Amino acid sequence: MADPPPDEIAEHLTLFEREASEVADRAAWDGLRVRWIGRKRGLVRSLLARLKDVPPQERRDYGQAVNRLKETVEARLAEVDRELASQERGAARQAAAVDVTLPGRRPSLGTIHPVNRVIHEVVEIFIGLGCSVAEGPEVESDYYNFEALNFPPNHPARDTQDTLFLEDGRLLRTHTSPVQIRTMLERKPPIRVICPGRVYRHDNDLRHSPMFHQIECLAVAEGITFGDLKGTLEAFIQRLFSAETGVRLRPSHFPFTEPSAEVDITCPFCGGDGCRVCSRSGWMEILGAGMVDPRVLRGVGIDPAVYSGFAFGLGIDRVAMIRYGIPNIRMLFENDQRLLRQVTG
Amino acid sequence: MKLSLAWLGDYVDLPDDGREVADRLTAAGLAVEEIVDYDGDTLFDVDVTTNRPDCMNHLGLAREVAVLLDQPLRRPSTEPVSVHRGPGQPVEVVIEDREGCPRYVALGVRGVKVGPSPAWLVRRLESVGVRPINNIVDVTNYVLWETGQPLHAFDRKTLRGGKIIVRSGGAGETLVTLDGERRELDVETLVIADADRAIALAGIMGGAATEVTDATVDVLIESAHFDRSRVRRGARRLGLSTDASHRFERGSDPLGCLEAAVRAARLMVELAGGEVVAPAVDECHTDSMGLGRPAELDLERLNRFAGAQIPPADVERWLEGLGFEPERVGGILGVKIPSWRHFDFEPDESGRVEPADLYEEAMRIYGFERIASTLPALGEPDSGSSASYKLRQRVRSLLAAAGLSEAISFSFHAAADSRRWPALASQGKPLALANPISQQYAEMRRSLLTGLVETARYNQRRGADRIRFFELGSVFPGGQAEEVERVALVAGGGSGMPWDREPEFDLFDLKGVVEALAAAFGLALAARPAALSGLIAETSCELFAGGELVGHLGQIDDPALPYPLFAAELRTDLFQAAPAVVQVELPSRHPAIAMDLTLTHSVETSWREISEAVSAEGASDLSEFRLKDRYQGEGVPEGAVNTTIHFLYRAEDRSLTQEEVNRGHGVLSERLRSRFERPVNA
Repeated sequence: MADPPPDEIAEHLTLFEREASEVADRAAWDGLRVRWIGRKRGLVRSLLARLKDVPPQERRDYGQAVNRLKETVEARLAEVDRELASQERGAARQAAAVDVTLPGRRPSLGTIHPVNRVIHEVVEIFIGLGCSVAEGPEVESDYYNFEALNFPPNHPARDTQDTLFLEDGRLLRTHTSPVQIRTMLERKPPIRVICPGRVYRHDNDLRHSPMFHQIECLAVAEGITFGDLKGTLEAFIQRLFSAETGVRLRPSHFPFTEPSAEVDITCPFCGGDGCRVCSRSGWMEILGAGMVDPRVLRGVGIDPAVYSGFAFGLGIDRVAMIRYGIPNIRMLFENDQRLLRQVTG
Repeated sequence: MKLSLAWLGDYVDLPDDGREVADRLTAAGLAVEEIVDYDGDTLFDVDVTTNRPDCMNHLGLAREVAVLLDQPLRRPSTEPVSVHRGPGQPVEVVIEDREGCPRYVALGVRGVKVGPSPAWLVRRLESVGVRPINNIVDVTNYVLWETGQPLHAFDRKTLRGGKIIVRSGGAGETLVTLDGERRELDVETLVIADADRAIALAGIMGGAATEVTDATVDVLIESAHFDRSRVRRGARRLGLSTDASHRFERGSDPLGCLEAAVRAARLMVELAGGEVVAPAVDECHTDSMGLGRPAELDLERLNRFAGAQIPPADVERWLEGLGFEPERVGGILGVKIPSWRHFDFEPDESGRVEPADLYEEAMRIYGFERIASTLPALGEPDSGSSASYKLRQRVRSLLAAAGLSEAISFSFHAAADSRRWPALASQGKPLALANPISQQYAEMRRSLLTGLVETARYNQRRGADRIRFFELGSVFPGGQAEEVERVALVAGGGSGMPWDREPEFDLFDLKGVVEALAAAFGLALAARPAALSGLIAETSCELFAGGELVGHLGQIDDPALPYPLFAAELRTDLFQAAPAVVQVELPSRHPAIAMDLTLTHSVETSWREISEAVSAEGASDLSEFRLKDRYQGEGVPEGAVNTTIHFLYRAEDRSLTQEEVNRGHGVLSERLRSRFERPVNA
């Protein structure tokens, strides 16, 4: 066997460089790698295998030359590998390219009805003021709806034109006040409850709905004052509307409170300057309030000489209409999803 | 109620700016809702609450103004100008019903000349919205608007038998009233009669036969006190409301009758000539009414109740001005309830005036705005529970998160709707309204679906391509059953746009929401096919939890719908709040091995059967399995369906090998195949 010419290694090196420069993809790179440094038939390996045929005095140089070749091949392969990987990442990025201005697919969230949304806001405020929630039935007896609330037998509110009666003699509660009576019969003072619910009146026109919603607050304990009523109302109204909202109590008359007050707030639309919504008065009547009438307390077995209390009631539908700019109460119960779905957040 | 500022000025000195008076009145509970210019005068539109009939006239309102402005009150003169002291009144007054009429004053004026009223009187009446008629009738109306006492003037010559009788109407008796209507009377109606016949509806309206005309020469003035509820019932029965009945219903001043009659007589003589026939007949039985009831106002308690420091001297002065005749002994003001406020101070059973009623007088004059705002000094939060409210709020949040919007429907429906939707509990006789708004709202709803499905249709008609609704509210099963709470869902459709990748909503989308909702409240639902009203029988089922019927769902049976709608209704009474302690299952540290199995089986075989069979096999290390897909179509025989099940194998203590999973899964697959993969037509 002839000695390998000393320049054979250099030729291999040149050959490899040429082949490496022609690698265009991962398959070609794999082929190159197997051909040169493959573990079984790689060229480098076969060059090394010929080491035993090299004359002993040349072996050292030969071995070093093959090793240099191997190192060069490996380094160059790694370099090409990096180039290829970079090209591949670039291609993947190209494939992922999108028009980011296309619309996102929003999860289709539902909504809670504006009325219940406002009820929840109010309830949360009062839970924060130490109240618990009390609820009661919508079908009521005359006792809970009227008698226990000190409505005289011939009070106008008992007239058939206001109350919806059932054929069995019961009625649909005209306010949430029966819940106050039920609470006071069930529990002893101190009591602080908030009572949301549906109520009914025999009223059906553009401005009235036969069904609407109220929320009432009742506080009974020793030493409750009219000042406490004012303070609670102000705290509540300023949290529900804004800290700047003015509150005004005007003496009025309800059978179940004494003294009674109509409560006005500065118009949320004009801040009290006067606008179309508040008929230029700057005020908006929003709820009725008062100190629980001693006759009501005595009727449920609470001694008015020891305990006093306040109560107030708010029409929720009206607040929802103000809050969301809904001009007509009947729109609240038409349930047009185009309207309902706007009330989010 | 419109009242004139100029007229008020007759009785109390007023500041130049009417607005100041209006603001003080409003702050004291007599809300001036509007201030109107009227031909040089100013009118107040006052919202007088039902308990203050004493302020439904100028003198009464002036009394309030005088106290509020700290001015003296000037009362009009009641001294008769020309008195005839002949044989006395030409009538005898007999009160048969003293409860209905505790007092009746009759006062004659003879020799009048009926004619038009002078301009000042016409103007005053017109300013408060009263149509002038003639000088006699106008005077009665003027005195009503001055003092609040309703008066009536009879043409004395038309009275038969020289008698005025106050009695109940007779069955079959009729009366033609001043408005020309023939009224049917009954025992409930209190009437004024002469010896022969009814001549007036007591406290409501006079009769045509005895009215004052241009030919009238002698007049008989009636000034009476009629029972509130009696007038109210009569007016309601006849569908009449007059200035007189409006005041009597709310309670007139029982002690004001005579003064008003004399005042009217004086004015009649002034304007129409003639002379007063004195003295008046005064049938007075007001002793048993408990007028002028004494009461005590504890000034210290007043301040504790109000949360204010109201000067005692002020309280005393205000109550003096309001007619309470206060006398102060130490910290107590002894007062008497004025007769014109009698009905506003209803005593308790023992005859005691409620202190709060007197506190109100002091507080409203003091001004609510002067009372400082405080918060109740209660340390602990209320002891009651808000659990059911919170649970309901959670239902709302969950369903909203599931993409449904909450609707609120009316709680009533038409009688025909009562059996339109399936029942969830035994139902009694529907709760029918005695006075419904309309037949459309004749009964209380028994299912939320009536309103909610109508809501869905309403939105479909308005072009909605997808419906996603829920409602939470009470239903009324009827009979003796109490109202119960339900939640209902109605949904269907989809945007139909490929970009949205939102497949059209189907029954299993709905069922999934229902199952997730129930699961959130601790209920696992089992569906059993059932034919249910309003739903397509092939799609409908009842839902059970722990053996109890809790709901149902299905596709709405209505071919007119533009796309299918699916409905469900659930009881919420079995919903449980989340337990205080929930123990989670810790995830395994060992990997799971997934395997699939496709069974080709008869469409008659339910998923429930298959899934129960899988569970019953108890394959070792099978941690869970789920429905992966269902397929019918090419490659699957007619009447059969492909069900692909996804299995997850996992051991708690080690990593499973593919080989051991293959072995176990192979056995399971064979057993399921041999059970369910029978030839369809074999």
